[in-house]
Amino acid sequence: MARAAVVGAGMTKFGVHDTPLQELFGEAAFDALDDAGIGPSDVEALYFGNAMSGQAENETHLGPKVASYVGMAGIPVQRFEDACATSANAFKNAVAAVEAGVHDVVVVGGVERCTPETGKDTDEMTRIFASASHRQYEQPAGLTFPGVFALLTKRHMHEYGTTEEQLAHVAVKNHGNGALNPRAHFGKETTVEEALDGPVVADPFRLMDCCPFSDGASALVVTSEAYADSYDAPVDVAGVGHATDVVPIADKTTPHVTQAARDAAGEAYEQAGTGADEMDFAEVHDCFTGAEILASEALGLVADGEGGPAAEEGRTARDGDVPINPSGGLKAKGHPIGATGAAQIVELVEHLRGEAGERQIPDAERAVAHNLGGDAATTVVSVMEAHR
Amino acid sequence: MSDGLTHAAWTDAVRDGRLLGGSCGQCDTTVGTPKAACPHCGARDLETVDLPTEGVVYTETTINVPPEGIEERGYQVAIVDLGDARLLGRVDGETVGVGDDVALSGYTEDEQGYTAPRFEAV
Repeated sequence: MARAAVVGAGMTKFGVHDTPLQELFGEAAFDALDDAGIGPSDVEALYFGNAMSGQAENETHLGPKVASYVGMAGIPVQRFEDACATSANAFKNAVAAVEAGVHDVVVVGGVERCTPETGKDTDEMTRIFASASHRQYEQPAGLTFPGVFALLTKRHMHEYGTTEEQLAHVAVKNHGNGALNPRAHFGKETTVEEALDGPVVADPFRLMDCCPFSDGASALVVTSEAYADSYDAPVDVAGVGHATDVVPIADKTTPHVTQAARDAAGEAYEQAGTGADEMDFAEVHDCFTGAEILASEALGLVADGEGGPAAEEGRTARDGDVPINPSGGLKAKGHPIGATGAAQIVELVEHLRGEAGERQIPDAERAVAHNLGGDAATTVVSVMEAHR
Repeated sequence: MSDGLTHAAWTDAVRDGRLLGGSCGQCDTTVGTPKAACPHCGARDLETVDLPTEGVVYTETTINVPPEGIEERGYQVAIVDLGDARLLGRVDGETVGVGDDVALSGYTEDEQGYTAPRFEAV
């Protein structure tokens, strides 16, 4: 039995937007409402994600601002912040609310602007992003977010022999997928040679190993299982797992295993009565190429240590045995922080309806989304299935 | 009950060339930064302990794109295995790799006075 159903899904193109946050979110929200065939007055609550607008745009108390803009003022709005896992956590709580009967129809989504359209340059935004690392025990050393995932990836390379070339293969694959996604930030393919020739950001990561700063929004209409069949194209939410790990990184037992992802995946698979072997594809949080490799192992899609070889051998390509990030992932689709988690669910919905166009995973029946926050100390894993 | 290692006491120690951590009285955990309770078992009887000031590089990276407020580029950050605990810090001098021996060599301070230990190869 499904926990809930997604009956509407929408998102903006990810990229550079010179519009205010409420206008960006409005575009995604109306896209989702239209997809569900409902209006704002049908929505009972808004579960809203935004991570950094207080720092990036001097903009807080966004909940009623965006609700007012889309005709939903009056309903309860709750805002979530869990760094890059922001809107997956909103999704988790939205699913729990409809499952518990608190609300029957809710909208969940997120919005963020991270590009220089905010008025913040790369060094300023690098500092704002680094606010998710530990203020007392990591930031004073000058740790950045490429640095965080470089630390995890370097240890993985030491343990398993993962190579920079394997990392480059992740970038090449995701740029190839992104080129088929009209809403992706980057629509251009790349090569292993080009990736390996880029400037180093935080070794082993070169420019092409890193996701971009993006602007964008995403939204979903979620309803309880009892009402799913009254909509045209429901997709079932089979399980949502959520776990945390110790911060800072140095106090984690084994940082590169991303234990929170393993715990969240275990919970999601158990709720869904399924396992990694049953997943037709995955959307994972590839903020950096190394993060995709760690996630592919933590979700059980490949064995520990096999994430690098799997990328190199094409196993994670759209026509491989474990397709990962057909959307292009954060790497190519883009990463407007608070919109990313719900946008992963948008991608799952489209494939499970068979409506993903050129990048469709054929006959996809079941898929998993993995959205992490900070140094992976927050992870939300969601399993979705075609509606039965 | 925890004897209450605070950020202030931890920072004073770093400035004095010492590293303080918390050792759990209920399980095997030792953490390299202050916690009010053990992150693994929840016990509050964390004993403040002196950590070794020499250790082995657990992982490292060299950061070429710094955040606002840091002018230099190409500085190295490492997590150092100090035996019972690990700790993150900057690396002075020559670049080190995973498995290399390092020792505490000082500290760095940001504009708000928060400190990070510095290590160097030995």
